[in-house]
Amino acid sequence: MRRWLRRYAALIRAAWLVDLQYRAAIAIWMLWNVTEPAIALGIWWSIAGEGAVQGFDRAEFARYFFGVALVNQLALAWDAWYIDRWIREGEMNFRLVRPIKPVHEAVADNIAYKLRTASVVLLVWILAALVWPPARLPFAPGRWALFALAALLAAAIRFLNGYATGLLAFWTTRATALMELQFGVALFLSGRLAPLALLPPAVARAAHLLWFPYVLAFPVEVLTGAVTTPAAYLRGFAGQAVWLLVWWAAYRAVWTHGIRRYGAVGG
Amino acid sequence: MTRPRPLERLRATARVLGALWRVNVVEELQYRANFVASLLGTLFWMAMALLTLALFFRHTTRLGGWDYWEVVALLGVFNALTGVIEAVLRPGIGELADEVRSGRLDLILVRPVDAQLYASFRRLDLWRLADVALGLGLAAYAVVRLGRPPSPAGVVAFLVTLGAAVAVVYAIWVALMSLAFWFVAVENLSVLFDAVYEAARYPVSAYPGALRFLFVYLVPIAWTTTVPAAALTGRLRPLGALAAAAVGAAALLLSRLLWRAALRRYTSAGG
Repeated sequence: MRRWLRRYAALIRAAWLVDLQYRAAIAIWMLWNVTEPAIALGIWWSIAGEGAVQGFDRAEFARYFFGVALVNQLALAWDAWYIDRWIREGEMNFRLVRPIKPVHEAVADNIAYKLRTASVVLLVWILAALVWPPARLPFAPGRWALFALAALLAAAIRFLNGYATGLLAFWTTRATALMELQFGVALFLSGRLAPLALLPPAVARAAHLLWFPYVLAFPVEVLTGAVTTPAAYLRGFAGQAVWLLVWWAAYRAVWTHGIRRYGAVGG
Repeated sequence: MTRPRPLERLRATARVLGALWRVNVVEELQYRANFVASLLGTLFWMAMALLTLALFFRHTTRLGGWDYWEVVALLGVFNALTGVIEAVLRPGIGELADEVRSGRLDLILVRPVDAQLYASFRRLDLWRLADVALGLGLAAYAVVRLGRPPSPAGVVAFLVTLGAAVAVVYAIWVALMSLAFWFVAVENLSVLFDAVYEAARYPVSAYPGALRFLFVYLVPIAWTTTVPAAALTGRLRPLGALAAAAVGAAALLLSRLLWRAALRRYTSAGG
């Protein structure tokens, strides 16, 4: 355990220092990440007008999409694109000879990057809340603690989901297309475009059979206070636990089988 | 060495670009599977965009004063412009930031052609032109469903404003890429464009006041999709089309001035 802590500390520190060189580029990526929720908020804001859309008024939309921006930043999954390139161009080779599995480096990269960027998003939210009342959350430390747990699980699920999908590059050259497909469907099913309550009920029900709501909508709703009953909390966290296990198992399976097929192209 | 006269230089540039495009086309024809993949990708994202609109219109009858088929027409314009961007601008001028950083821009500057034109239009990704056709097709279908076919003058206004839209999009790319001359270390400047252009999916009138001001005057994406779609659906007055033409011309002029100012900062790299 101590050994793993030391390893992770070293990996995270290294990733943090690498990121430090790319501050301007990271700022641009962040801007890109917040545009989508900002645009969605702008549109819903004008649709809601002075009234409400199925109970969502302007302030509620504002809180929801600030939450989306934050959870999105925490649960970003970019690894599939790197893995795809490493496998195709043979860059996976020198990662494989290291004494630690490539997945640990990826986890450390994720932690370093998200500590940096999500804290910026949070800071912007706090500043916005100071001048703009709709963005304010009621003071509820207990709920924030539950949110932290839900966001962590969401990030873990999406990480494993992205990593496992990326590893399909051992078999196909279109692994990233599968990521795009999920990203597109998630626009609706994970609540990126609108709170799930505004989707047609059948679509919302179907979404809850998949992992999408658990990687975005659930943590956001915990934060904004839309999850109220203990039963709803239980359902949400249970769903996250199940999908975490499913994607962890998928990652294990794809990794062990894929690595045996790996032909180590390039050099 | 005597410098060639401007007109001859322009002709030489056009000849070189024509030859480059022919080579690109021949190259791409080898990869027909890419065409299918690209087409499927475009159709998928178009479907997502239409579903997005369907969701918004479940809860409203108008978006910024536009009804459903009007916004679909706008979406068609958005897709057509995306095709131009992906086929020509991103593989061409979109590479500029990287070339400034690595010093490879030298290789363009020493050629006896107009460097801005060459850097901007050197590549043509043939398959992405299908996006232009699909986008215009969607816009045409929306206009039919709208039941308000544009008058001949309306078609002219649409073509003028669409030309102006391409000019504005191009100028935004030049402006963003020119940032590389000042901030050399930023390698993903093209993502800035994606961030800004996302907002052009909807009519500017659908945004709150401050954003609308931003999109009309500061980051002029209002001129890229809202105005041509307005011309197509008969919302635009003739004066609007003239204003768009003026904005397009101003955008081209500004891009030229900016390019010159930026080149003066270029000191090459390495060596």
